[in-house]
Amino acid sequence: MRRILAAAATAALCAAPAPAQADVPVRVRVVKGSRQTPPRFDPRLGDLKKQLSRLSYSQWDQVKEQDLTMAFGKTEFVELPSGEHVGLTVVDVRGDTVTFEVSMATRNTQSRLTIDKNQRIVHQVSPEKGGVAYFMSARAWP
Amino acid sequence: MTDCVRYAPMIGAREGELKSEERTGLAEHLDGCAACRARAAAQRATAGLVSEALLAQANRRDFGPFVDGVMARIERRRSPRGILARLRAAVVHHPRITFGAALAPVVAALAILVYVRTAHDEVARVLELNSEGVDMVVQTSDGPLVLIDDEPEGT
Repeated sequence: MRRILAAAATAALCAAPAPAQADVPVRVRVVKGSRQTPPRFDPRLGDLKKQLSRLSYSQWDQVKEQDLTMAFGKTEFVELPSGEHVGLTVVDVRGDTVTFEVSMATRNTQSRLTIDKNQRIVHQVSPEKGGVAYFMSARAWP
Repeated sequence: MTDCVRYAPMIGAREGELKSEERTGLAEHLDGCAACRARAAAQRATAGLVSEALLAQANRRDFGPFVDGVMARIERRRSPRGILARLRAAVVHHPRITFGAALAPVVAALAILVYVRTAHDEVARVLELNSEGVDMVVQTSDGPLVLIDDEPEGT
């Protein structure tokens, strides 16, 4: 009986190979939000306007933009103007959806977020200081 | 004679059955009535004979096999049986409970399967946060917006 079960388990494992995880092109942007006046919106952030306009910051500027080719499970680090680093990892890809893990070691924060092809993550990556906070936007298959 | 009619039923009464005045009256009556003393003596003799007879009957009975029989039944219940025999007995004695118990993991597996499939269909809306420091996640049609608090702990 045990032999039969062991053989069945082995067959099941062999019959279900792990899906190959291809590299994922990701556009990462670091965005600065400020409470200063007058209100201003960086035209390069037009596609983020709907998300960013929900926040109470009045001036929005793009600080950095990086196009990454992310290997599955490998963490890429994005440097913030403060010198801190934010880790970004692709932890799962299923069809048109991708799951990112955003890590901020200085804050002991790890967020796993799943989005589809035409969505992006906007993640605050620094606490507000002097009316200024930094955000990171990640979009797969830009 | 009138006194005999009154006290004769009290002869042989057990301790506490008679009131104090009845007990005193009976004693006084027995002192002066030979017939009632004879009744009392006869009752004591009869009670003693019955008691002895019962004891003798009980002594004739051998309780050794009784204890052995009880212990044998206990041991038989304790004795381990094979898992298949116990399973068979459970099915025979409690068919509905057995069927329900067998069905429960199947239903649970189906529920998990349905949940996983549903979750996969709506994966774009799934959000998993296993973190400290994340205060709020605003879900938008363009994707999640994650906000953190301004005063992180330990900094």
